[in-house]
Amino acid sequence: MSPTVEGTHPKIDSMSLDAFAAGSQLFATGAAELSFHLTLDWARSVLGDGVRVSRAADLPPQTICAAICLVGSSTALSERLPGGNEPVRVIRGLERRLGQKIGAVVALNLDAESALLPVITAALLGVPLVDGDGSGRVFPLIKQSSYTLGGVSATPLVMAGPADDVVVLDTAPDRVEELIRPLVLALGGWTVTACYPMTAEVLARVLVPGTVSRLMEAGVPGAPRSVAAPYGVRTLCRGRIVAVESSTGHGMDLTLPSLPSSIVVEEREGLGRLIRLEAHNEIVFALADGAMVAMAPDQICMISTVDGMVVDVDKVAPGLEVEVMVVRAAPVWHTEEGIALGGPRAFGVPL
Amino acid sequence: MIIGVDLGRHETVTVAVHGDVLTEVQVTAGTLPVVTYPDGMRRAPSMTPRGAAVAVDLDGVRRAPVAVIRVSNPCPPGLGPLVGWPEDSGVGTVVRGGHSLTGRPITELDTDAVARFAAECGLTDFAVTATGSPILPHHELAVAEIIADEVPGARITLSYEFGRAGLRERENSAILNAALGPHAARIADRMARDLPGVSVFFARSGAGLVSAHYFRRYPLICYLGAFTCALRGGAALAGRGETAVQERGAVVRTGLVTGGMPRIGDRRDTLVPLNVRLPLVVSASEGVAVGPYARQAGPGWQVPERAELAVAYGAALARPTVDVERIVQAKGRAELDRALDATRDEALTRAVSAGAAPGSARVTGTIVNPLSYLPDGLFRVEVKAEGAIL
Repeated sequence: MSPTVEGTHPKIDSMSLDAFAAGSQLFATGAAELSFHLTLDWARSVLGDGVRVSRAADLPPQTICAAICLVGSSTALSERLPGGNEPVRVIRGLERRLGQKIGAVVALNLDAESALLPVITAALLGVPLVDGDGSGRVFPLIKQSSYTLGGVSATPLVMAGPADDVVVLDTAPDRVEELIRPLVLALGGWTVTACYPMTAEVLARVLVPGTVSRLMEAGVPGAPRSVAAPYGVRTLCRGRIVAVESSTGHGMDLTLPSLPSSIVVEEREGLGRLIRLEAHNEIVFALADGAMVAMAPDQICMISTVDGMVVDVDKVAPGLEVEVMVVRAAPVWHTEEGIALGGPRAFGVPL
Repeated sequence: MIIGVDLGRHETVTVAVHGDVLTEVQVTAGTLPVVTYPDGMRRAPSMTPRGAAVAVDLDGVRRAPVAVIRVSNPCPPGLGPLVGWPEDSGVGTVVRGGHSLTGRPITELDTDAVARFAAECGLTDFAVTATGSPILPHHELAVAEIIADEVPGARITLSYEFGRAGLRERENSAILNAALGPHAARIADRMARDLPGVSVFFARSGAGLVSAHYFRRYPLICYLGAFTCALRGGAALAGRGETAVQERGAVVRTGLVTGGMPRIGDRRDTLVPLNVRLPLVVSASEGVAVGPYARQAGPGWQVPERAELAVAYGAALARPTVDVERIVQAKGRAELDRALDATRDEALTRAVSAGAAPGSARVTGTIVNPLSYLPDGLFRVEVKAEGAIL
């Protein structure tokens, strides 16, 4: 008998999916409108009676859980559509490697598509989705998670893309990024990835808890955006993007998935400061007239003043009016280990 | 002198713009327009118009049923072609083929399936969308050849002409473009009849003009041409660069003008998600009101003197404009520069085919963004070009 009392925990069904999806977009960086709507339509078409959302502590302690995320390019996902069986192939691949059934899935992070793929996976497999995630925000690298900070290995890790491949990576966790980046392009530009296999007992100790149900609340029309930021949020400036510069990387051998770029925002009010945002997939830090005002592991994002949507780093253009906001990361990220894994240094910036 | 024409939902408004002078003109079908001059005299203009810019909205017009061919791997039914369209929008099929982001063929194109569908669908307006066509359009071009062989007189829209990544939105754009084709052709025919000897252009959504020939092939580019011109013309009549403009005609809607030009973006309130940028619709409490019912706009709204001429005036202010978006793969600066040059050349060629005088076409903007979460060397490139009417 399930220890969860019916009704005490939410269910993601056709009624609540939209709120959850909207909540997952409130601070989603690196997410793209097109692939998000694609993933949402995909989720709608497989949701059936809905997906049960369960606290990790409410699952039988030995239940094997797997973290699910999108690895690769959202542009690729919107261009090369899923065949539909990627989540099942990836879970079956992990089960074969482990010799054990996967009894629940959990998100690696709750950023737009990466929030919806675990829902799709749970629906296709008929297993619960755990209420929480491995980030509390989003980081570009798989190893950048509270699961890693809690001592759980990202491997074995399984990837499946829109071509009919399944790739199992049996390697040390710090080898993962180097191996997956070239693989992603060969697999079709994007993959559903299952990683961090662990028991529910361990998961309950290492996850950022309650974030799924929180996004379901934050996404209800009329709810303040700050509901999606459990550890606090502040506005850095409101202004207009006046320059976007991208670099060819200067030949640096970084393990990060794409090239650095800079975004300059001219503050519209107050001091009229120039805010410089240094991005490397994500915005790593922000300078106001040359002074550091925000940095990873806190999350820096640009919200369009026209439609309230997060502006993608690879879609920015001069002339856009934005509000630059800083979302405080979960406490685990502000520990010494957390800063080492998710701070500026992790993005190749030795600050 | 440039003629501006507002093909409104009820009546047509025509103006002549010569330098800074705006006058309303009468057009009798098949003759040169007659201008009512400020002295009250009506006579044929002292010079031949350099061109006529026509503004029309296509969001409410009759759409033809479309035969939709998607070239890709099979996908879940919820993501298939024509999902979200009304029942009678057409018929669709998915055939094997397409290219990866690196330009490699995913599988061979299933030419037999294309030929079978084209021959049996019973329609003549086609929309063709292949996975990866913003990188390499070969399979779309191959499908077009097969259709042309199977269906004499077929009108074919290829999605790479709306070259942004995002298969479903690009496909929807191609479908809508194909569906608007027959109606656009009727409008272009009518303007050619009404204004003989005058080069006719059509106002694009967002900014700029394209030639009538271009409009016949890519009417979707002009989907909200009249709303665009209402925004630009209204702001210009009021002498404001930054303002909200409310159009009060057959419909009431408000948009934003910044730097004299309409604010555009991806809109989610269209029939289906599209990949063309349209003027954003906003709610505002003050600004400039235009259109035949401008005076009903209420307090906070400035009504220009000639509010009913705003759309036609906005059209006459525009110039031939095109944009091209591609995904390019380039290792290192030199390769990227070559790819940029190629994209700029394409934009200039298109600007000329959209009606810009050949010597006047120039690139007005280039945006290069690396694609996140992929290995180095994949970029989204967007180039804008514009020119002057002859």
